[in-house]
Amino acid sequence: MQERLQVLVLDDEPIVGKRLQPALAKVGCDVEVFDAPGQALQRVGEKRFDIVVTDIRMEDIDGIEVLEKVLERWPKTKVIMITGYATVEVAREAIAKGAFDFIAKPFKPQELRDVIARAAEALGFAGVDRAAADDSV
Amino acid sequence: MADHPAAFPDAAPEAPDASSVERAFLKRPSFGIRARLALGFLSFIVFAIAVTVGAWIMLSRLERRLRFLEVADRYTMEIQQARRFEKNYFLYGGNLQDVQDHIANARRLLIAVAPDAAEVVASAELGRMRDHLGRYETLIARLVARDGAHAPADGAERPAIEAELRDHGSQMVAFALELAEKERASVNATLALFKRLPVAFLAFLLVFSVVVANFLARQIVGPLSRLMATTQRIAGGDFTPLTPLRWYRDEFSTFSVALNTMMRELAHRQEVLVQSHKLSAIGTLTSGVAHELNNPINNITLTAEMLKEDYGSLADEERLDMVNDLVVQGARAQKIVRNLLDFAREGEITTERLDLAKVLRGAASLAANQIKLSGAKIAIDVPPNLPAIHGDRQSLSQVFVNLLLNALDAVGKGGHVSIAAGTSREPGYVQVVISDDGCGIPAHVLPKVFDPFFTTKSRGKGTGLGLSVSLGIVRQHGGDIRVESAPGRGSTFTVLLPAAMVPGLSENDAGPATRPSASKPSRPA
Ligand SMILES: Nc1ncnc2c1ncn2[C@@H]1O[C@H](COP(=O)(O)OP(=O)(O)O)[C@@H](O)[C@H]1O
Ligand SMILES: [Mg+2]
Repeated sequence: MQERLQVLVLDDEPIVGKRLQPALAKVGCDVEVFDAPGQALQRVGEKRFDIVVTDIRMEDIDGIEVLEKVLERWPKTKVIMITGYATVEVAREAIAKGAFDFIAKPFKPQELRDVIARAAEALGFAGVDRAAADDSV
Repeated sequence: MADHPAAFPDAAPEAPDASSVERAFLKRPSFGIRARLALGFLSFIVFAIAVTVGAWIMLSRLERRLRFLEVADRYTMEIQQARRFEKNYFLYGGNLQDVQDHIANARRLLIAVAPDAAEVVASAELGRMRDHLGRYETLIARLVARDGAHAPADGAERPAIEAELRDHGSQMVAFALELAEKERASVNATLALFKRLPVAFLAFLLVFSVVVANFLARQIVGPLSRLMATTQRIAGGDFTPLTPLRWYRDEFSTFSVALNTMMRELAHRQEVLVQSHKLSAIGTLTSGVAHELNNPINNITLTAEMLKEDYGSLADEERLDMVNDLVVQGARAQKIVRNLLDFAREGEITTERLDLAKVLRGAASLAANQIKLSGAKIAIDVPPNLPAIHGDRQSLSQVFVNLLLNALDAVGKGGHVSIAAGTSREPGYVQVVISDDGCGIPAHVLPKVFDPFFTTKSRGKGTGLGLSVSLGIVRQHGGDIRVESAPGRGSTFTVLLPAAMVPGLSENDAGPATRPSASKPSRPA
């Protein structure tokens, strides 16, 4: 059986993690969610994630910093940024700093799944189920 | 107002509206400065004419007196002359023609002098005088007749006539002397009066001048200093119209009406500036709101999508949790928008009792998104039992939002902004100190920051209206804004607002009439 995709989701809005956890698990990801950047970075120090999804704008540490720390520790990890509308410029900066892609709030779970699927492909994973939405009612 | 004009002179404490004030000014009878000056000078002229006429009358009376005195002296002389010839006649004999001539002269003088003499001597006495003269004349005539008849010189009749003549003669002389004497005294009295007259005139002129000068000064300097005080008040941002204080209307009333018009215009302009600054502040706040709104919307989108996706497989409990999230996030979105809408709504300026803590928290929550975006740390410190203030909630929150946004612009990521409220050292005032550790303001810029349209920010980011409008608003509330800043050491803006009086004791809801005493210690001139 193929290794499952290791995903970390960081957003200081707890509901984001709460909803993305099952949404991504459904497509075959192992998901850990955090709403505090400090804890997330600590976890990144301990474990290698294939994909990190992080909000760009947070209270204490911002997404760019998270991006830098993650890439410093795990250069191969794909980092996907979540941006608000006022931070498109910051998102560009993030891309320049090595982020894989960004996704603008508000987004649907499927949109994130698509980005993650592309990232997985880039990493060489084949088995990410893009069609999870078919399970829906 | 037009129905009850009595409402005006002791004007109601609250600001009357401008057009009714203008009507009140125009309703008063006109009594201009020109008219008052003319009246003042007219009274001087009338006084001068009165003095001249008086002096002229007295002088002509004096002239008559002197003429009379002269006549009286000549009369005396004629009588004395007549008596001398009479004496010669009795001693040496001869004729009485000379006596008769002199007596005739005396009679003529007496007749001429009679009207004037009446002022000096009683007419009865004058009559007696005439009797003496008549009797004397008859006696002389009898003597002449006797001599003509060649009566003996030592006849029995002659001594009787002689005695009677002597008697009347001496009485006539005495009377003539007395007449002249009385007249001389009267002339002297008039002269003495004339000597005193200029002194009295001068004294009166002095008093009169002082009174008139005082009157004119009160009439002109009083309103002038009131107008001067008004211009200062206007400079301070107080646009309450002037009300008539006097029963009449003059050039100052016209000027006051013009000032009122100017104040109305200024207030209007100020309102326009406030409004346009508010619009730009709303623009800034809106971008933050739009950004912040993304969070609940994103939460709702994610939750709704997952609910739809997994509806069949979810436990009831989970479904309920998701629906709850939807409800809560919906409310959150509403709240974010409502704050801004509250701020943006064009409301009447209303003065109400305000809890400063609430106003400050409201301002901070309006700017919450900007605070988040900027990455700055903000600390709000409002002690409990802070005195309430009186004011317009919207205007004041505009002031604090602006100061907060300025501070956020000045600090970078990780900067600090603090809002601290407290009672001021200025008695009767509450202060809000908004300080940041941002870029600070160079000394050469500091004097300009309150100028309208002064900004150091890029186009589209700064309008330069914030501080000027804020100062206008705060001054309208009877307060002041002070600033201390140095480049690299941050800035501190202190907003002073008059504390509201204890309810019931409050006599002036708009706050104390006077401004903080040392109004500009820290705002560079
Ligand atoms: N807290 C502050 N720190 C540094 N500079 C400030 C601060 N507040 C105001 N200023 C300066 O004062 C100027 C005028 O401010 P303001 O009247 O609010 O207009 P605006 O913010 O639109 O530029 C600003 O452009 C800025 O240079
Ligand atoms: Mg400003």
